[in-house]
Amino acid sequence: MTRKRIMYATVLILAIIFPFITPDPDFWVSSGGTRALWLGVTALSMSFLNRNLGLMSLGQLFFSGVAGYIVAISSVTHNVKFGTSVPLAILAGTLSGVIIGWIALKTKGVYFLMLTLAVTLGLYSFANQAQEITRGHTGINSIPSPIIFGMDFAYVKPLYYLFLGIAVVLFALCKFLEKTSFGIALKGVRDNEDRMISMGYRTMPLKMIAFVFSSFLASIAGVMGVFYVTNISPDSVGLVRSIDLLVIVVVGGATYLGGAFVGAILIAVFEAIIQDFTQYYVGATGILFIVVLMLAPQGLMGIAAQVRARRAKKTGASA
Amino acid sequence: MTQFIFTFLNGLTLAGLYFLVASGLTLIFGLMRVINLAHGAFYLLAGYVSWTIADKTDNWFYGAVAGALTLGVFGTLVYVLLLRKFQYEELRVALITLGVSLVLAQAMLAIFGGDYYQTNSPESVSFSVPIPGLGLSYPFFRIFVLILAIIVAVGLWVFISKTRYGAIIRAGVDDTTMVSALGINVQAVFIWIFFLGSVLVGFAGSVGGTTNSFGMGTDGDYLLFSLQVVIIGGLGSIGGVAIGSFLVGVIGQFATGYYPTFAGIITFAMLILILAFRPQGILGKKQ
Repeated sequence: MTRKRIMYATVLILAIIFPFITPDPDFWVSSGGTRALWLGVTALSMSFLNRNLGLMSLGQLFFSGVAGYIVAISSVTHNVKFGTSVPLAILAGTLSGVIIGWIALKTKGVYFLMLTLAVTLGLYSFANQAQEITRGHTGINSIPSPIIFGMDFAYVKPLYYLFLGIAVVLFALCKFLEKTSFGIALKGVRDNEDRMISMGYRTMPLKMIAFVFSSFLASIAGVMGVFYVTNISPDSVGLVRSIDLLVIVVVGGATYLGGAFVGAILIAVFEAIIQDFTQYYVGATGILFIVVLMLAPQGLMGIAAQVRARRAKKTGASA
Repeated sequence: MTQFIFTFLNGLTLAGLYFLVASGLTLIFGLMRVINLAHGAFYLLAGYVSWTIADKTDNWFYGAVAGALTLGVFGTLVYVLLLRKFQYEELRVALITLGVSLVLAQAMLAIFGGDYYQTNSPESVSFSVPIPGLGLSYPFFRIFVLILAIIVAVGLWVFISKTRYGAIIRAGVDDTTMVSALGINVQAVFIWIFFLGSVLVGFAGSVGGTTNSFGMGTDGDYLLFSLQVVIIGGLGSIGGVAIGSFLVGVIGQFATGYYPTFAGIITFAMLILILAFRPQGILGKKQ
């Protein structure tokens, strides 16, 4: 336990001093750090659901997209202040989780994956078609940066620290939830729902709360995305983006909360390096993804455990 | 009234195309419990292949055959090299196919660029037929697609439920060990199913690439249509695909024709409404 605390503290300190120790800070703080934190929070919403309910959701970008579009449309088209639009967007994204969850939670496994993927692709096609609202394929551009207490988050470092703060709070919140009786009941549902039902638990509300919480996380990530990228278009919720997110979660380790950020850092750095050399980085991440799935399905976070298990098996066999 | 009839005909012929696209997906899933989420990418790849061949040979049929066969071989390779080892881990297989679709999407973008393509329809079926009583005409090629879909539907049904091969396939899925013990090579049966399912989507891509333009992003669109069709109809059921295609095609066309801004939402509302009452889809078996 103390070892884990030391590790968290080290990671946090590294994250705080990162802008001062990295070479070429203007590039790496934004394209490496801030981007990884945004992607990490999005991935966290997916990992939380997978870890605690055993459900792999591709619907997270739907919630991100709903929240992101609401902020973008209200601030650019209707001049609404962020103080109003951001809470409203997060609320709307979270509440849309109730409708999607009501349907999707009746299914599991690969059905759940398909249904949530269809939800995200549905938003993509809506965003493309509904030009009067979303400006279609071009999307909504030049979204202004927020200014909080006189601090302009258009600058690289303030935005990085804002995102770091959000990520730390949300990560801690997930960890806290897992320790409560609610979190423990969730694991029970994941492992054996029928037994939980026969023990007198009403499992649907439990699953629903977990799902809506994850859509809350995804909505926050959607707002972060709008502030980081400063535009939003149908491609922000398209097929390639959905798979990109899945790559982050799986490569990092889908059954670990920290895996979301490990995967996000890896992919952000990978993309930042490779985009100078080749336009095919999406293909490269796809190949990486397939290799990880075939050889190390527990992802980077799980490799240590996998090696340990294999070694134990080997010594067990030779003894 | 004219708009109504045209919208209905468009929806019906589009339903034929959706059936061709989604039947391969449901066939493979229904028989092997393998869900291929690279289905949209397969569709698009077939479109490019058949466009290229039809353009080179000036013959639509060569293009269609090339599209179908290329995808058949490609799909079989994907199955044998990437999926077979994990066949009984549904989710892992689904995720690997998503990876395949990501790689394919990028490769196709690199080769064919961001432009949109459309294959010319064969001259022998490029005429319009008059609609009786209205004094209007409708392109025959679209009706041809609907006829093809009906032929494929009947063919699949007869093949799976009436022939000896169909019986072997169904038995191999239910009890692999027992069928192997009877001296039948079940692995070969699975390969043939994957080949057939991929040929179907390849053919659909060739046909769909003639009735509609295609390009970057088409893979996501057709994956969405296929998912909607099989989710509504019930995964693994050929009849379910027929019903799902009809609903998604016709209602989607009416929504696009009359309320273009909210077309996507209308189709989606229908999907949610159906799932609220039947989570397994209209003809799906209980999970």
